[in-house]
Parts: sequence; C-alpha cells; structure tokens
Amino acid sequence: MLEVDSLEKTFNSGTANEVHALQGASFELAEGSFMVVIGGNGSGKSTLLNAVAGSFIVDSGRITLDGHDITRWPEHRRARLIGRVFQDPYSGTAPDMTIGENLALAARRGLRRGLGWALASRVREDMRERVRSLNMGLENRLDTPIGSLSGGQRQALTLLMATWLRPRLLLLDEHTAALDPRSAQQVVELTARIIEEQRLTVLMVTHSMQQAVNLGDRLVMVHRGRILHDFTGARKHRLKTSDLLGLFDEVRRMEQLDEATAMMLKGLYV
Amino acid sequence: MTLLIGALTVGLILSLLALGVYISFRIFKTADMTADGSTALGGATAAVLLVKGVHPLLATAAGAAMGMVAGTVTGVLHARLRIHGLLAGILVMTALYSINLHIMGRSNVPLMEVDTLVTGATEALKPLVGKADTHNIAGWQVASRDIAAFLLSVLAVIIVSVALYLFMRTDLGTAMRATGQNDQMARAQGADTGGMIILGLALSNGLIAAAGALLAQYQGFADVQMGFGMIVWGLASIIIGESLVRTRALGIVITGAVMGSVLFRLMVAIALRFGLNPNDLKLITAVFVLVALVVPDLLSRIRRRRGVQQHA
Repeated sequence: MLEVDSLEKTFNSGTANEVHALQGASFELAEGSFMVVIGGNGSGKSTLLNAVAGSFIVDSGRITLDGHDITRWPEHRRARLIGRVFQDPYSGTAPDMTIGENLALAARRGLRRGLGWALASRVREDMRERVRSLNMGLENRLDTPIGSLSGGQRQALTLLMATWLRPRLLLLDEHTAALDPRSAQQVVELTARIIEEQRLTVLMVTHSMQQAVNLGDRLVMVHRGRILHDFTGARKHRLKTSDLLGLFDEVRRMEQLDEATAMMLKGLYV
Repeated sequence: MTLLIGALTVGLILSLLALGVYISFRIFKTADMTADGSTALGGATAAVLLVKGVHPLLATAAGAAMGMVAGTVTGVLHARLRIHGLLAGILVMTALYSINLHIMGRSNVPLMEVDTLVTGATEALKPLVGKADTHNIAGWQVASRDIAAFLLSVLAVIIVSVALYLFMRTDLGTAMRATGQNDQMARAQGADTGGMIILGLALSNGLIAAAGALLAQYQGFADVQMGFGMIVWGLASIIIGESLVRTRALGIVITGAVMGSVLFRLMVAIALRFGLNPNDLKLITAVFVLVALVVPDLLSRIRRRRGVQQHA
C-alpha cells in the first residue's frame, strides 16, 4: 500500500540552521495496517509524516502509495489519496466558514471543483446524518461558523472531513495533543471507530504512550530521521507503556554516549 | 439633485472596484496594487474600442477581460514565482502604466462623441420616460443622461453582486475562500491553492477593470491617471461597509461593500461641495483608511491596559 524508501531531507541546507531531518527513513505499510509512530522531540517523526503528505518534496528517496509514485506530486494532488488531521485543531478547518461549507470542501477532496452548488440539499442531508454520528449535537448547527466551536469539536469534524471520502491512507499528526483530556479521549474513540468501520490504512504520530500502546497493530520508533525500532503483530500487542519508556531511556543514553564520545574526540584532536 | 445622483452613480460604479478589492484584501488578505493599473487598463481598452465603433457591451467586456489578464499575471508572479504579493502587484501596476499609454496611444481618450453604454441606456430610456432632455423628479430637473447612467449602474451592480455571491457558494468559490482563510487546510482537501490565488486575482482585477470601463464611459473620457489611488479607495469602501454590517456572512458583506462605496462617494461629494480642496482628497482618503485600520486595534490595547491597571 505505502512504500517509503530511503528518504533524505535537509532543511536550511548550507546555513547555520541546517537540519538533517530525514536520514534514510524506510518502511512498508500493508493495506489495512495501522502504524503508530513515536520518537523524541526533533527525531523526525512529524517530518516523516509531512514527507508522505507532501508538505515538502524530499531531497532523495521514493514514496509509493497505492501503486502511484507520489514522490514528486504536490500536496494538493496527494490529497486525492490521503486524508489528514493536524495537531493544531485550527489547522484543519476554515474558521469563518460554516460547518456545512467545511464539510462540502471535504466532500470533494481530490475531485474536480466546478460551478456546482457546494451545499446542495442532497449533500446537506448526508452531512446531518454523519455529523449526528459524532454525538456532539452539531447536526443542527451546520450553518454555524466552525471557528465558534471548541478544539475537540473542530478536531472531531476534521477527522470526519479527512475520512468523508474514504482515503487510501489516513495521516494523524498528534491529533489529540492540543486537546483537554476529555476531548482527547472522545477524539481517540472516534478515531478508532472510523478506522475500524472504513478499514483504513493509518499512519499516526503520537507522543501519548497510552495511545501508542492501545492503538494500532504496528509501532515504530523514529530516531535521527530513520526507523530505530519496529514492532509488529504479537510483539506490538505485548508492548506496555513501561517498555516504551525503556526505549526512550535507551535513546537518551545513546545521545549521551554520542555527546561524551564527541567531547572525548574533541579533547583528543582539537 | 444632479450632484446627488452623480455621486450615487460613481459610488455604484466604484462598488464593482470595491468588490474586486474585497476579493484580494479580505479573501486572500493581500493588498493587490494591480488594482490601480487595471482600473485604467479597463478604461483605456474600452475607450479605444468604443472610438473604433465596437459595440459598448463588447468594449466593456473586453476591458474587464484585460483586467483578468493583468490579475492572472500578478497571480502567477505571486503564486508560482513566489514573489511577495505586494511587490507582484506593484510590478504589474508599474508595467500597466506603459501598457495603458500604448493602448490609448496618448494619455487621454475623450468619449464625448461616441456611442457608449451610457448613451445606449439614455436611448433605451426614451420610450419609457419621453424624449425630453430633463425630467422632473421630486421637484428637481434631472438630465435624462444622468437617470440612464444611474439605472445602468444599479443594474450592473445587482448583476455583478448576485453573480459574485453565487460563485462564492459553488465548489470552486468555496475552495477559493478556504484558500484565503487556511491554505494548509485547503491543500489537505486537494485544492490547488496557487491556482486559486491566480483565479481569484484574475476575478478581482476583472471586476476592477470593469469598474474602470464603466467609469470612463460615465465621465466621458479614459485617462492613464484614472486608476491612481483606487486600491485605497476600495479599501475605504470595504472598511465603511464592514462597519455598517458588522458580520462575516457572505451575502451581507457583499451588500456592505456596495453600500460602503456609495456612502463613501456621497461623503466625498458633500465634503467637496462644502469647500474641501480636491487636491487634498487622496490625502484624506489615505488618512481615513489608516485611522480605520489602526483605531480598533488601538482601542482594544488601551482597554486592555486599563483592565490591567484596575486589577493591579
């Protein structure tokens, strides 16, 4: 389904702020698989997700999705295959436009947009139905500007929008990180339900160890722009939060060792 | 009365310009300087074609089409070649000055002796109100040409406003509005945001050039200078309109922009009538826009500071 092959990306190349964010990241994701991505700050986990989404074009490597080589596709073209939910609840919706108008945009994700009426009555009926399934009482507020809703409500709607037309791949980028615990729980439950119902292929970045343990059938840990650990099947299901914390400790020790080595080498050679 | 009806007519014609500026300034949140150039471009193109005897409707449409081309160029510079939006507009505006001179062949084309939309409307009005040159309206003598021009501009504004409103509610128009509000989200929903900006600026400058073409026909000449300061004029109209309607609902905002343009023109006409030096007009317009943009922010800052002091 999704093949990511030795991706390389350097930001601000040739300046003092140069960051080698992806360093040969590779993995394959099977149809219907739900992969959780964890990693420390600056490990490249979000960069990896953004590379697949097309937020930038990678320096080298190959991304294949559903039989298409999408490595050079611009972001909006990839949207035909990919549904996406961002960390910031404000990123996924147009605030001054109504709930209905936002959903209407999602209803034509990746399709040609012409002079058809965005909010045809047929579409509205469908909208009311699917918004009702959120159990947030929003089905009668389709003409309310989406900016007046809470972060949790907006994130739930963004999730609905990302999966309005079944995406070949769903990308979730720490999509509950900015929510209060109760809303986060609601959105997590909704996420699990939609993924189950539509049998979606999912890539989810999270920094919640609990989500990482409870969700998905595969877990990878990203470090320094490549995949450091990969747990699938029974190994993934046996993982506990304490195991994950152990992984993070291991990474921290590696970092310290690196630094200590660097200091030592500096002492020897400089 | 002639003064009033004249002010209303110019206000209505320029409300097309205000709607154009609304697209660039409110939907895409950039001040598109192309406006100044495309006003004159619309006027110049229409004037030259009218002098050649082209049908006034066709000449006006050609003026608007040239504006769309200018907007497309600005859009491509901005969205595809990654030039800052303000600079892209300034470049095209500057280039248009020469282009407009080339189109007209000189700096001014008079339209007194040729058939225009205004003369056409005056003729069309005759069977309805009689052949007299002036008519009695509420005790005032009004030239039939002024009545015709007024009705013509009312018609034009209604058609354009309704069309714009309907367009903004289509799939394409919705994607365009989303692009301006949250381009990240628009791309995630598969909208080509660059293409949306190009199309939007084309539409915006088409409306602005149409305003220029109508204005030239109303005032009886096209001039290479006629677009100078038009972007600021459009901004003033939008700001007045927004303070009148105080909502973000699309249909009402469009109505507000039209009302703002008419009201602003009336205020200017009254000020001129009571002795405002015409040379000061641009200065006052610019100061007005500056004040209208700065004051709301300033007020809230002062209020916040007071709140802090009270709490301390």
